[in-house]
Amino acid sequence: MKSVKILIITMMLMLLVAPLFANSQSEAEATEEVVLQYWSWDPELKTRNETMIEKFEAVNPGIKIEMTTIEPKEYWTKIRIMASQQNLPDVFNLSAGYLEEWAQNGLLLDLGSFIDNDLDKNTFYMNLFDAVKELSGTDSYYAFPYALVTTCMYYNKDLFDEAGISYPDSDWTWTDFRDAAIKLTKDKDNDGSIDQWGYWFYGRYAHIESWVYSNDGYLINRDSMKFSPDSNAMEAIEFLTDLVLVDNAAPSKKEMSAFRQQDVFPQGAAAMFVDGSWNIDNNRNVAGDSMNWGIAELPIGPNGDGSLTYGWPDSLAISPNTKHAEAAWKFTKFAAGEGLSMDMVMAGKIPSYRPLTESEAFLEKDQQPSNKDLLIKQAAEEMRTSFTLSWGEWRGYGAAEALGFNGLIDGIIDSEIPFDKAIELANKNINTVLDRNYK
Amino acid sequence: MKQKKLSWYKPWDPLLFLIPTLLGLIFFRVGPIIVSFLISFTNWDILKKPQILGLENYKELFQSSAFYQVFGNTITFSFIYVVGVTVSGLLLALLLNQKLKGMKFFRSAFYTPVVTSAVAVGIIWSWILSPKYGILTILLSKMGITSPYWLGDPTFALFTVALIQVWKMSGYYMIIFLAGLQNIPESLKEAATIDGAGKIKTFFKITLPLLTPTTFFVLSISIIDSFKNFELIYAITRGGPQNSTNTLVYDVYLNAFVYYRMGYSSALAYVLLAIVALITAFNFYGKKRWVKYQY
Repeated sequence: MKSVKILIITMMLMLLVAPLFANSQSEAEATEEVVLQYWSWDPELKTRNETMIEKFEAVNPGIKIEMTTIEPKEYWTKIRIMASQQNLPDVFNLSAGYLEEWAQNGLLLDLGSFIDNDLDKNTFYMNLFDAVKELSGTDSYYAFPYALVTTCMYYNKDLFDEAGISYPDSDWTWTDFRDAAIKLTKDKDNDGSIDQWGYWFYGRYAHIESWVYSNDGYLINRDSMKFSPDSNAMEAIEFLTDLVLVDNAAPSKKEMSAFRQQDVFPQGAAAMFVDGSWNIDNNRNVAGDSMNWGIAELPIGPNGDGSLTYGWPDSLAISPNTKHAEAAWKFTKFAAGEGLSMDMVMAGKIPSYRPLTESEAFLEKDQQPSNKDLLIKQAAEEMRTSFTLSWGEWRGYGAAEALGFNGLIDGIIDSEIPFDKAIELANKNINTVLDRNYK
Repeated sequence: MKQKKLSWYKPWDPLLFLIPTLLGLIFFRVGPIIVSFLISFTNWDILKKPQILGLENYKELFQSSAFYQVFGNTITFSFIYVVGVTVSGLLLALLLNQKLKGMKFFRSAFYTPVVTSAVAVGIIWSWILSPKYGILTILLSKMGITSPYWLGDPTFALFTVALIQVWKMSGYYMIIFLAGLQNIPESLKEAATIDGAGKIKTFFKITLPLLTPTTFFVLSISIIDSFKNFELIYAITRGGPQNSTNTLVYDVYLNAFVYYRMGYSSALAYVLLAIVALITAFNFYGKKRWVKYQY
């Protein structure tokens, strides 16, 4: 009996100790090569990222990449915890909204000297690097932008043809847009309720800020760091809300509660739509070949000149605690540059790597829209955003989408709150959040 | 006769077997509960070290008008939910307690929403209640009724979401009531019938009183359950329109994992805990006044 017990205990001990040996063996191997941890936020790109990593490892023997892919919903909480433990992965995805907070808390490696000394500036859109610098609120580069996201106007060519209106072009003004929206709003089955809207928007950031910037407005005063929309911004918000309340050319938010917001346009329920350029992908998926559509620049506001774009970069960042900064830089440059292929950038996102963006592959001539080159033009324009610390909270983003500034604008177009009252509340609530962050 | 002492038994043996459970309890329940209490006195965004604030978070909370709205929403939601699932769970159980063919089918049919994901439930109900194209809207308009914006109007949204949650969870309470109903001896009902009681009188004088232990259990569970309404709100309204469906548990989530205000969020969570504890204590206190046990 005793011998059986001893046997069992010995076996258990062996099981426990075995992994230690295995580990020490692999560590012995690892002394020869650098292992980098890379965190990606896009599970859909997992296999393509793996291919990219294989390519990188093939040309860079001695560097091994271990990739972790996390659902976007959990990505930020997990990576924040890693950051608080000073245990960040060597290379990771970073969104523009967090640039300021992370750069100022010393959680990103300063890439300034790498960019100055080891980057061919003719192969990347350098204005994206400038945008990164500005967003971080510092005077150096704390992230490597790999793609630009911008906003544009989508229009349904079939509905424009049907109404006999010419397609929007770069000279279109707000007045042209408003007239078209009114004409395109129709009660097709004469049942007394409208089934085709000229335009569709609600309080979402991409739906509002795009128009604010097309009128050269500001929501945030960057000197005082207060929410204080200037007269151009107010004009834009009023122009939009009037489309619903006065012109009856766009539906209220509640009217559209059954739609996913991004599906209203591709399902043909609205003739025009403004949102991020990544909607090209969704439009293709939802509308397929059933409708003809195109993209255009935002109509120019009375005080705008059409040279300002609402855009922000998606970036890769390097941990300040990495032991292999050189290797991490090498990988970052590869992943954002020559390692990137068109199928790795969601349609509508604009790679910062010029050879890719300016190639035929980017234009995707066999798919709609036929004028994707418009995005390249926008990528070169001056950019503005409303990002601040705690942006998601005051703006009302993601799970908080129905609240914050987003919720207040929804309140105006749903006729729940009068315009002036909503702006008054926005001033009060948003500045409470901003004051907490910028004491 | 003196019992022989068991030679292999040691007094700490049961503890040994409890270790896995105890470890889980300490690390995943008790630990976080204590830590989050401590965090509620700090300002912590995960990135930086927590700063001690004292009672600031609680002060901010009780001074914010949004909190009282959220608090009100939470109580309203819970009230609708508890009354809703208790009444509909009991009614369904009574219906299913009949001896008819095909009962098994109905039992599982009514239970299906319980095991359906809240996201799927949210999508389906958003379609049903959709203005213009929703099936309910169309049915009502055929009867000449203009439906309100069920999910878009702040006056209706909270009720609508609460009722969807009632629809989803009634099946669960139905099963509990069904077990309770089947526990009531037929002999008592027969005796009542012999004494001349009709069906309705038997229900109110025999069935309902003997069901009170089950009802008490249902109340206790559903009260606690009613505060855990995060998923459906996330799937359908995200706290809108105009904060009208924002409840404490949703606000806890927003502050913790969207705004990264762990301190404030922990303070909110503790207020929620206090409310649940208070109501549950009240429920237990009132128990002896109305719960009747068979034996």
